[in-house]
Amino acid sequence: MTLYRILYCSRSELADSPAAGAEEIRQILAKSRANNARDDITGGLFFSNQCFAQVLEGPAEKVEETFERIQCDMRHRDVTVLEAGPIATRDFPAWSMAFTGSTDASAFGQAVLSAAFSGQTQAGDKLLDILRSVVVREDEWLANEAA
Amino acid sequence: MGAGMLDEMRVEPPGDAPRPMPSDDAHLADHLQAALNGVPAAIFTFDQSLNLIFANDRVTTLLGAAPEQLAECSTVFDLLAACKGLDYVTAQRVGGAVLAATASNEPRHPPIALSPGDAKTAFNLQISKSGSDHWMVLFEDVTARRAAESEAIPQTLRDPLTGLPNRKHLNDRIADVVATVIGRTQVWMILVDLDRFKTVNDTLGHPIGDAVLKIVGRRLTSAMRDSDEVARLGGDEFALLIRGRPEPEAVATVARRLIDVLGRPYLIEGHLIHIGASLGIASSQDISEHDHLFKNADLALYAAKKAGRNTFSFFDPAMEARAHKRRAMEIDLRKAIALRQFELHYQPQIDLDLNTITGFEALVRWRHPEHGLVPPNDFIPLAEEIGLIVAIGEWVLREACRDAVHWPESISVAVNVSPCQFENAAALVTSIEKALKASGLPGNRLEVEITESVLLRKESAVLSALHAMRALGVRIAMDDFGTGYSSLSQLSSFPFDKIKIDRSFVTSKGDCKDQNAIVRAITALGISLGMATIAEGVETSEELARIRANGCTSVQGYHFSRPLPIEQVDGLIAGFAARHPIATPQAA
Repeated sequence: MTLYRILYCSRSELADSPAAGAEEIRQILAKSRANNARDDITGGLFFSNQCFAQVLEGPAEKVEETFERIQCDMRHRDVTVLEAGPIATRDFPAWSMAFTGSTDASAFGQAVLSAAFSGQTQAGDKLLDILRSVVVREDEWLANEAA
Repeated sequence: MGAGMLDEMRVEPPGDAPRPMPSDDAHLADHLQAALNGVPAAIFTFDQSLNLIFANDRVTTLLGAAPEQLAECSTVFDLLAACKGLDYVTAQRVGGAVLAATASNEPRHPPIALSPGDAKTAFNLQISKSGSDHWMVLFEDVTARRAAESEAIPQTLRDPLTGLPNRKHLNDRIADVVATVIGRTQVWMILVDLDRFKTVNDTLGHPIGDAVLKIVGRRLTSAMRDSDEVARLGGDEFALLIRGRPEPEAVATVARRLIDVLGRPYLIEGHLIHIGASLGIASSQDISEHDHLFKNADLALYAAKKAGRNTFSFFDPAMEARAHKRRAMEIDLRKAIALRQFELHYQPQIDLDLNTITGFEALVRWRHPEHGLVPPNDFIPLAEEIGLIVAIGEWVLREACRDAVHWPESISVAVNVSPCQFENAAALVTSIEKALKASGLPGNRLEVEITESVLLRKESAVLSALHAMRALGVRIAMDDFGTGYSSLSQLSSFPFDKIKIDRSFVTSKGDCKDQNAIVRAITALGISLGMATIAEGVETSEELARIRANGCTSVQGYHFSRPLPIEQVDGLIAGFAARHPIATPQAA
């Protein structure tokens, strides 16, 4: 079984208001969790300043199916693939998600996303690094949501 | 309907206490509410200020608004936010349509793809007036009907690959639907043509191409309302039929969405595939016969492709005039070869170190009996499109070789070969061979100029044709280098004899710092790869000095001579050295 990874970014068509956006993100997260567990897909979703970045890792076929499902989603646009190819091992052993709402957007993340959209090289690598470093915040975010 | 039935439909209020006898008005209201709850559609009404008046039970069951939340909604927007069954974007679009309807005081049937969650429930949406200052929004659940309808389309009317309805089915639908609305804005057709799809087939093979088409069908279906028709016409052409009187702006929004969705990357068997889509849009308003809808959409599609692809065009009556003009030109162009209306003009190529003419580029002109001299840009694209370029190209090769054989032996001739001529690469080699043989011109005095698009398909037939030309002694030049992809792998895929530096790096702009760097880099690249370099479009002595200072010693351009008719070429060769004494290279 070939392991495959794809990393993309896109612009959000979600609500501008953080509250409504967060609700949408919560729905996306819930849906992704269920689907990805079923399909043995791991990775991370990053949301900042109305931009998404997502990395998906898993069996090639499942990654393709998941990616195509995402491609049909009207809640984002301008999908740009930064990296796609077979991998030896997973970088994201579990499905995780990092979220930064537009109010506490990290300037760094924003800079990288804009670099990605303008097609600068290395943007993919940087984005992967960011995803690795921020996914740990998912629990924190979910805890805040629940409170 | 009999009185007994009415009695049965009366709904008792909740609670155990017997209700007082209702007044006639209250009775009627109850009765209407019960009736509205029985309608298989989510309905809500509101006033001109968007204050919610009434919502039926189906708003809960169909759109997922919790009853307790519904009770707290005071405006249309509260209600839309409470409908968990609508995703945010859809709710926002419905809200926008409500605003537009109330502002313009006109009913709407907006072309909105209602796909709440992943459930793929199909709705028809209507926003209409109920009374003088009240409005009603109706979401009709048409999931079952659509499914039945789509099931009802027999296999013979379906495209076997994508499962979508085929051209025949769409034609039937158009005949049915459009016949009743000719001359009115009721039905729109969007023709969709994929850009760069042929490359996918050519480079990755037909199975991958077919997989792309299947996904395209699915993306189109998921981006459209279920009340719209999506059909595959064949090849990489799809058509959409939108009903329900949407405004042009709404159709443009749909078009933009389609271009975005179809232009998103495709991941198929590990290949990341990028294609695009061009859209032509026509309305039933502009037609007098139903089959004109196709024709108009096709004209609009042609315009979209001309406009650079990945875009859409609405049909405009002027397109018909242009199409007519184009057809007339096509007829003239087909006759032009037989009537000997083409001629070649020659522009000298100068070696700056030797201060001599080393060759001429042959440039084709069309002397039209009525329109005079037609520049190549005005007819070559058309000739390429209709396949006439092969015949024109052969004529150019023969004529150029015949002319060049009379020039001094040190002077060669360069001929442009269109990518279309490489579609039958073997025939191209044969025609080069014949042109050399018939004229007696040695192969090493002929240079063939190709653009990198010839190599993009990486076909072995193309490469073997280039090698066969080389075997005849013919030199191969890469034209327009520096524009387009200018991939270095292109240069390494074939041992070119010469690189032509595009005029955009030659024509002086500002301080020319970047241009100079590029000219220097290409020249150095040529030296290391053993390829000659020549700069095109040198028009002034300043540009000449600049090009020279950056290491390029071969040039072509108006500074020396414009392209000349054959009669003037001998004179130019004879007088060149006298008119251009060797100049000392200037410092940059």
